[in-house]
Amino acid sequence: MPKKVSNQKPKLTWVRFLRLLDKYGITALRYLLMTIGIFAASFPYLYMILQSLSPWREVNRRIVPSALTLRSYEWLLGGSSTTLARPWLRGFGNSLLVTGLSTTLMLLVAMLAGYALSRLRFRGRNVIYQVILFQMFYPAIILLVPTFLIVRHLGLYNSYAGMIIPKAVNLWAIFMYVSFFKSISPAMLEAARIDGASELQVLLRIAIPLSRAITAVIGLFLFMERWVELIWDLIVVQEYSMMTLNVMIATMSGPYASYPGPLYAASVILTVPIIIVFLIFSRYFTEGFKFVLK
Amino acid sequence: MSNYNKREEATGWLFVIPYLAFTLIFFVVPFVWGVMLIFYKWNLISPVREFVGFGNLLEALQDRRVWAAAVVPFKIMSMFLPTVLVLSIGIAVLINSFKRMQGLLAVAFFLPYLASGVATALVVKGIVSYTSPVNSAISKVIGYVPDWLGNSFLAVLVISLMIAWRFSGYYALIFLSALQSIPNELYEAAQIDGAGRITSFLRITLPQLYPALYSVMILAVGMMFGIFTEPYMLTGGGPNLATHTWYLEIYYQAFSTMRAGYASSIALYNALAVFAFIGVVRKIMQSWGRALGWED
Amino acid sequence: MLRNKSIFVLVVLVCLAMSSAVLAESATFWTAPNPSQEVFWHLMAEQFMIDNPGYNIKVMPMAEAPSSEATILTAIAGSTAPAASENIFIGFGAELVASQALVPLDTLDGWQELLASRNMEEAILSWAFPDGHYYILPIYSNPILYGWRTDILQDLGVDEIPRTYEEIIKVGNIAKDKGLFLMVRPALVKPNWWERWFDFFTLYNAINGDQPFIVGSEVVADDAAVLEVFHFYDQLAKQGLILTQDIPDAFPVGDSIWTELGPWTFPGWKEQYPEMVYGETFELTMPPVPEKFLEQATNKTFGDAKGLVLYAQSSQEELDAVWDFIRWVYSKPENDLVWFERTSLPPVRDDLASNTIFSGYLSNSPALVPYAEHMPLAIPPFTNGEFADIQTALGEEGLIPVVRGQKTPVQAWEDAKAAIEKILSR
Repeated sequence: MPKKVSNQKPKLTWVRFLRLLDKYGITALRYLLMTIGIFAASFPYLYMILQSLSPWREVNRRIVPSALTLRSYEWLLGGSSTTLARPWLRGFGNSLLVTGLSTTLMLLVAMLAGYALSRLRFRGRNVIYQVILFQMFYPAIILLVPTFLIVRHLGLYNSYAGMIIPKAVNLWAIFMYVSFFKSISPAMLEAARIDGASELQVLLRIAIPLSRAITAVIGLFLFMERWVELIWDLIVVQEYSMMTLNVMIATMSGPYASYPGPLYAASVILTVPIIIVFLIFSRYFTEGFKFVLK
Repeated sequence: MSNYNKREEATGWLFVIPYLAFTLIFFVVPFVWGVMLIFYKWNLISPVREFVGFGNLLEALQDRRVWAAAVVPFKIMSMFLPTVLVLSIGIAVLINSFKRMQGLLAVAFFLPYLASGVATALVVKGIVSYTSPVNSAISKVIGYVPDWLGNSFLAVLVISLMIAWRFSGYYALIFLSALQSIPNELYEAAQIDGAGRITSFLRITLPQLYPALYSVMILAVGMMFGIFTEPYMLTGGGPNLATHTWYLEIYYQAFSTMRAGYASSIALYNALAVFAFIGVVRKIMQSWGRALGWED
Repeated sequence: MLRNKSIFVLVVLVCLAMSSAVLAESATFWTAPNPSQEVFWHLMAEQFMIDNPGYNIKVMPMAEAPSSEATILTAIAGSTAPAASENIFIGFGAELVASQALVPLDTLDGWQELLASRNMEEAILSWAFPDGHYYILPIYSNPILYGWRTDILQDLGVDEIPRTYEEIIKVGNIAKDKGLFLMVRPALVKPNWWERWFDFFTLYNAINGDQPFIVGSEVVADDAAVLEVFHFYDQLAKQGLILTQDIPDAFPVGDSIWTELGPWTFPGWKEQYPEMVYGETFELTMPPVPEKFLEQATNKTFGDAKGLVLYAQSSQEELDAVWDFIRWVYSKPENDLVWFERTSLPPVRDDLASNTIFSGYLSNSPALVPYAEHMPLAIPPFTNGEFADIQTALGEEGLIPVVRGQKTPVQAWEDAKAAIEKILSR
């Protein structure tokens, strides 16, 4: 391919300057922007960690503390002369339990429904699909009060089930599985059927293994969203023994507001696990992601 | 009838039963119940509930707090949308310009999406506190400390930026996958026509991003009506209701003043507002899409 | 045979275990979400269960989501209220009573004995409800006082602690010239209803004492007193003496010199700011008044008083168990001493100042003496079930726009009054 600028007047220095800039400057700019961007994206995390390790009198007054201390973590996890320790580890376990079970249920229900709605022909299928689309756009907040009343009537109020069951179905996940299963070549499924496999076996042996990458991404999204859920968990559970970390931090107002260091420590405890989960699954991330975003 | 295989049909229904049962209990019933609550004055615990007809709906129409909540999504949107679109398209183009490690870079920019609103709010609260290092630096330059959460404009800006920070990386991934599906021939053809970097970005890249832009717009606009955590933790809806969102108002009425029926009425208006506005955005986006030559 | 014997023993053991489980009277008690109160109730329950095996009292703190009142209401709505809880103020009690959610305590066994053994027969009288019953057993009463950083005042050359609005504004300007704030209070511009207790009602009650704010569905507040308070904040804000942005711990750190103080602050200071010593670095005063009111002002303050209640939806067994527990706690003044030591909140007793059990502690904790002494001057909150909406309106329409300089005091009070009347007529 001929070079575009080659036969223009090379003597003018500003053109040469521009060409140099084009060659190296843009690259430098790209690296600069990338560094700034990554720094901006991670700054709040860095800030949070630094403040949680900061001496109490420097919290929010210095970005980089003059010395590092674990006092905030000790106060938070072990209590002090004036406080009882909050069940933080338990809160962590609660978050893990509630998020894990909810995510699993959401995935299971979505796989089954997604497969049926894309690969099985039955009457009412299209109606159900339309209803799902309607529900996706229907604001969840309008259902908040009555759902709370139903949960109370079912006896699920103030229980783990109260946090998990009303969050057992995710419409977006169903929607994603419908589109994914539609994209699987029907021949593969048909071959299994001819071999005498039941629909459940087809789903378990062929469709689900094929969906590994997409399941990782959908699961990751569901996990992350459930992990930071605030309003529902806040309303449905009142006892510290069952509270999720996120709610525990949100309810540490009043007297605790004067202990910002421990609050930062709590935020670190809240955020680190989700980042670890994310990094573990991130190798599936780019692969599955392209599909999720279609 | 003959189109349906009996066994297949039974299996199909069996597979959607979990979803249907859930929808019945946690969508249909609350939906009907919520609509019924609208007509009552009730505090959730009293044995007495008083029928008030359309009273709640009418009262909400004259309520300053409700009107504030109706306006807030648009105020936040006016700052959030431009910011997030520039940032996320920028990030996508930037990541795309690197030949290697795209996955790793995408992961780095995706990190903010993982942050809990509660934790982010805590960080922001610290950063905007009067004696924070950031504020001391600013006051050295401009001579005073901006009242970040006390000034209506700045409070909306802070909340918009927090949300933009969280979502830019996520939306960037959507744009990135769209960028990578643009056929190279288009650029080559443009280059032959003598188009520069900027021209080809405006003439080719942007129009080709339309489908991604469409999804981002719908996602972003829908989210504007459901903001809760950031203002709940930072401003409580202030100053002077400048950041008083729909969810804050519904939460306040339902669980603070315990007016269940009134809260349901406001929720109904919220639903109407979302549907109406998303409808408008879809119309606009679609007609723009047709102008660009995209089919619906 | 041996096998049969062991089975027999096993069966007996199981029966015993089961019957003791049945016999064990269990109940849940919710404490305020305040670390030191939580510690106290844990201690009490532990001791009570050692002294009285067969009881199982579960103590847990209530969440603030978004306030402890909302937490309790939600729990009642969800039929999962505890048998009893503390942290109930009289306005909220009124709402619960109207919804038939509380047990009238005076109908329970041993009510009179409890009042006698805790020495509160006088103090209880102001807690009677219109139907003649008592639903709340008051635990503590905090007259809200104001703290002055006397060490900083001295540096500023101010020898006398200001008592009037005029003097405060003068001192505030001196502090301002030195780069300090008179007061740092971000909550001054937050609509959270309970904040008005500490920034509005303290000053309002100081001027006009116990003239009620609301009677039935009518605002009967003393307009002149309200306007004085609004005007004061208007002046403080206009002259740049108060900061409504956040400075963490401004008062103990020394960025501000004046703040309202409840005794609950002290346990935290002991841990974080041991240099805060009463009489050395800070002093306590009653709320200030305008100079022209100095003579006739009632010199009262707002009283943050809270008590415990029993919830009607609990089973009889739970109520019996928790009531036995409560009677046990208040049968000994020593327990109130433990409370006072742990929480610094003055227990509601007629003998707080006279009983030697407390005087020993008070002489070691001089900062608490003013609170104990001024307890009779504390005015409780107004009793109306719509307290949350009313005080939100008082903030949003009244005090907050005044502090922000968006409304004149007169306009703000006019608007707030109209908004409150609208709420009351609902």
